[in-house]
Amino acid sequence: MTDVVMIPRPAGHATRCTGGVLVAAVLIFSLIGPLAVPGDPFAQSLMKALSGAEPGAPLGYDHLGRSIFHRLAHALRLSPAIAIAAVLTAGLGGLVLGTWAAARGGWTDRILTTLADALLALPGLLLVLIVLAIVPGTALGFWAGLSLVLWVEFFRLSRAATHEVLASPAVQATRLLGFGPTYVFRTHIWPEIAPMMLTAAAFGTATAIMVIAALGFVHVGMRAPTPELGLMMVELLPYWREAPMALLSPVIATFALLLGLTLLAGSRET
Amino acid sequence: MSLLKAEDITVSQGGTPILHPVSLHLEPGEPLVILGETGSGKSLLAQAIMGTLPRDLTARGRVALGDHLLDAARPGGFRPLWGRQIAVLPQEPWLSLDPLMRAERQVTEAHHLVRGLGAAEAQAQAASDLNHLGLTGAGQRYPHELSGGMAQRVAIAAARAGGARIVIADEPTKGLDAARRDEVADLLLAELARGGGLLVITHDLALARRIGGQMIVLREGRVVEAGATASVMSAPTQAYTRDLIAADPENWAPRKPAAAGLPILTATGLAAERGGTRLFSDLSFDLTEGRILGITGPSGCGKSTLGDVVLGLTGASAGRVEKAAGLTATAFQKLYQDPVAAFPRHQTLGRTLADVARRHGQPETRIDTLMPRLGLAPALLTRRPGAVSGGELQRLALLRLLLVRPKVIFADEPTSRLDPITQKQVIDLLCETATAEGCAIMLVSHDPALVARTADHVLSLGPAAANADVTAPRVVGALQ
Amino acid sequence: MNTLMTRAIQALMVAVLIGAATFAMMRALPGDAAYRIAAGRYGYDNVDTAAADAVRDELGLGGPALPAFLGWLGDLLRLDFGTSLVTGQPVIEEIGHQLGASMALAGVAVLLSLILGPPLGILAGLRPGGVLDRVLLVVSTGLKAVPQFLMALILILILSVQFRLLPAAGHGEARHFILPALALALGLAAVNARIARDAMARIGAMPFYSFAQWMGLSPRQTLWRHGLRNVSVPLLTYLGLQFVTLVEGVVVVEAVFGWPGIGHALVHAIFSRDVPMVQGTALCLGLSFVLINTLIDLVTQRIDPRRAA
Repeated sequence: MTDVVMIPRPAGHATRCTGGVLVAAVLIFSLIGPLAVPGDPFAQSLMKALSGAEPGAPLGYDHLGRSIFHRLAHALRLSPAIAIAAVLTAGLGGLVLGTWAAARGGWTDRILTTLADALLALPGLLLVLIVLAIVPGTALGFWAGLSLVLWVEFFRLSRAATHEVLASPAVQATRLLGFGPTYVFRTHIWPEIAPMMLTAAAFGTATAIMVIAALGFVHVGMRAPTPELGLMMVELLPYWREAPMALLSPVIATFALLLGLTLLAGSRET
Repeated sequence: MSLLKAEDITVSQGGTPILHPVSLHLEPGEPLVILGETGSGKSLLAQAIMGTLPRDLTARGRVALGDHLLDAARPGGFRPLWGRQIAVLPQEPWLSLDPLMRAERQVTEAHHLVRGLGAAEAQAQAASDLNHLGLTGAGQRYPHELSGGMAQRVAIAAARAGGARIVIADEPTKGLDAARRDEVADLLLAELARGGGLLVITHDLALARRIGGQMIVLREGRVVEAGATASVMSAPTQAYTRDLIAADPENWAPRKPAAAGLPILTATGLAAERGGTRLFSDLSFDLTEGRILGITGPSGCGKSTLGDVVLGLTGASAGRVEKAAGLTATAFQKLYQDPVAAFPRHQTLGRTLADVARRHGQPETRIDTLMPRLGLAPALLTRRPGAVSGGELQRLALLRLLLVRPKVIFADEPTSRLDPITQKQVIDLLCETATAEGCAIMLVSHDPALVARTADHVLSLGPAAANADVTAPRVVGALQ
Repeated sequence: MNTLMTRAIQALMVAVLIGAATFAMMRALPGDAAYRIAAGRYGYDNVDTAAADAVRDELGLGGPALPAFLGWLGDLLRLDFGTSLVTGQPVIEEIGHQLGASMALAGVAVLLSLILGPPLGILAGLRPGGVLDRVLLVVSTGLKAVPQFLMALILILILSVQFRLLPAAGHGEARHFILPALALALGLAAVNARIARDAMARIGAMPFYSFAQWMGLSPRQTLWRHGLRNVSVPLLTYLGLQFVTLVEGVVVVEAVFGWPGIGHALVHAIFSRDVPMVQGTALCLGLSFVLINTLIDLVTQRIDPRRAA
């Protein structure tokens, strides 16, 4: 045995950094942009429809003469905000239920697992659509629907990890040494789960943003005139020839955000 | 003429030499043993001769195999000889068979594709090979349905099917108990008797003794000593070889029996089963302060389950365990076979030990006092379990237990993954602990010699199936 | 047997969940649900209070929630989905019409993704860290970050609007398949390729894979006889799970291209709050997932006997 201390570097450290930078850039644009160039995402001026960039609207105008810059910034706050709220709810719920199911075993475990398995069989998009039809308010509906879809992944991950950790000699030793469940969770379970949770959270956020945009794109998500990424794209699609940049702005922003989140998530263990 | 001749084989990693020049030759009918501890470079030597080194390592030197002359620096040249000239036996036979293919097909495929027999002939030959190895009827099983020994024999049949005359076995007895170890040695010698060459790489002195022939002892990438196995083992000329041989449990001086202290635990008529199979029954023994109870038996006989019963982790299906009054739950502790798996892997060892000390109201200075007593450097405390050698970590595990002031330590094969010299250190420390701390130790080992020279009493368990019929008490009494 | 039992329970749970969700959807409908259903069945002109009452009794919508819910579930489990609120046709017939178009599209997309993804993934996995591996990593990461609707949009812009190579909408001819199928397949292929690559790299590093070569098999023989068989198990399992992604893609892509399939119908049904249609399509999709995964379970158990244990 050598005395060299191996400091494990997470594979793809550079990849994760790139992802972080991309996500940060998009978020900074959405948060700081409108402060730097004040403007109203809803104000119409048909005279300016589809006209090019100018100081008050750095990305030009859409078909109704609204500033694309401000609409995009607004859209890039809306979906990530909903997505993060849903991921936090789902992550917390999944973590608590997952560790609880693994620690309790028996019927608790069986019932929760069966429920999670059944949800896994349903396309998330479909569940979100149904919840949207039930819950009043589109943003609230997206939050509820996405939380319902996303908790399953967190549940499965934390359940599997907890299950494995609890069966390990390390936990047996810790228990024999007289430590209780809190210590076991803090020193054994959480350090195993935390990195997975982070990965799952990044994937979950990406999924949520994709769902919101996809439903907006097919006219069953956010309603006009709310600026939303998918909705903006479908609205600007007919004007591709006249104003390609108008359409490309939300396309590029969406891709950058999703790519950033995918890179941030790193490789998923399968 | 030599079957295989290797001259000036070296291995380096990124320019740093990790194996210094070694030359060897393999004669028909005379085995060659390469003996060394972990990190001695013994496996690298074998891999360089076979052309199977990992990509980031470079070998130099010449290998003559029959009338083929090969350059160790160009591993591609060796590939055509695999299976046809050299047969390589894998370390862990279970993992070396395709889990999705029936045993006989794996042998058939070598006869068919490597040796070039027709499909029907290959299958007949495979079936007859398996019959010869005592595997009649097992050919239609998948690897996971075979025992470790059966898998090993299937792997031997598959490795030899291509018609190679030279067999290279890298640690063929890794993780096997004594009986199985001898069985493997005999199988290898039987192959040799068919007029081939045999090269065995091992850290296991018992295996080396049984194989015989010639021997090369390696340490830290250099040849320490070479000669006939029997003479090296009986009269080593180098200090390192002497230490290595002295560390073999066969050569240990028996431990002085300890005086009986206060009784700690009495077990009467214990029985346990797993998955409906009776593991053991009517087992009775006493544990007393300062004494060591050795437990031996083949794998799967219920040694670990017995530990779980004593530690209160599972219930026995029959019998009673009476503990002396006033013992807390933490008086019963366990030392694990794989110490890395027994520590929380995400925090430093110092932190883990400090947590244990705090939990049990011990001053942290006690850790500092115990460290030198167990021969441990303070710097180890800043590391995580994965960055410490097995021997050091096992001693740290012992230290962790001592913080709790245990009365019973169940040591489950605590040294089976350690090199002989380290094994002796750990076992010596364990014996000292029994005396110094006045605790009872249950020492599980698959090595009867180790137990015989260490324990005050020995409890030997038979194979699980045989236990079902045995009802007599199984305490084998004091050794002296 | 155990597998079938687990899957049967899963199917039942799926039905119950969909029943609960659509029941809640029904109760949340603006206005009197029974009146709307009656209107859907008999036409708005022919609805009177009596007809609405009849529907209310039939569906058990009038009373307290629990018996109404149980009645609702009962209908569902008898596979009695009722009639569409929009067209007045029995739901089961509507779905029958649309399912074929969706299956054709999904089938072509899956086939395309299997031709593209796994072979590249396996080649990359044979030499982890090699040029192909690194290129594939970049491409697949990029593709994974493009949602299907965005892929559809990009393909339409490039192939249809810009170069006028292919029609952006339409149905019936082979060339109509290309864009929607490609929009679905590229994302699936990106993920397939990663799964195949990881599985191949893992299996290539296993002792048995080296041992097969030490035994004397050539790299090609080892790949064909031992590599592919072992890679197929995780790949098939993953394909089963990917069915959900596929369905989501079909829903969006059909809506984008106006493909007359089940996904298109679902979006319409949601839009017009046609609850029986939503229920029927959702159940059809959920049960297809269970069915496909059951088949995959059985196949992988045949390949890998350890799974049957």
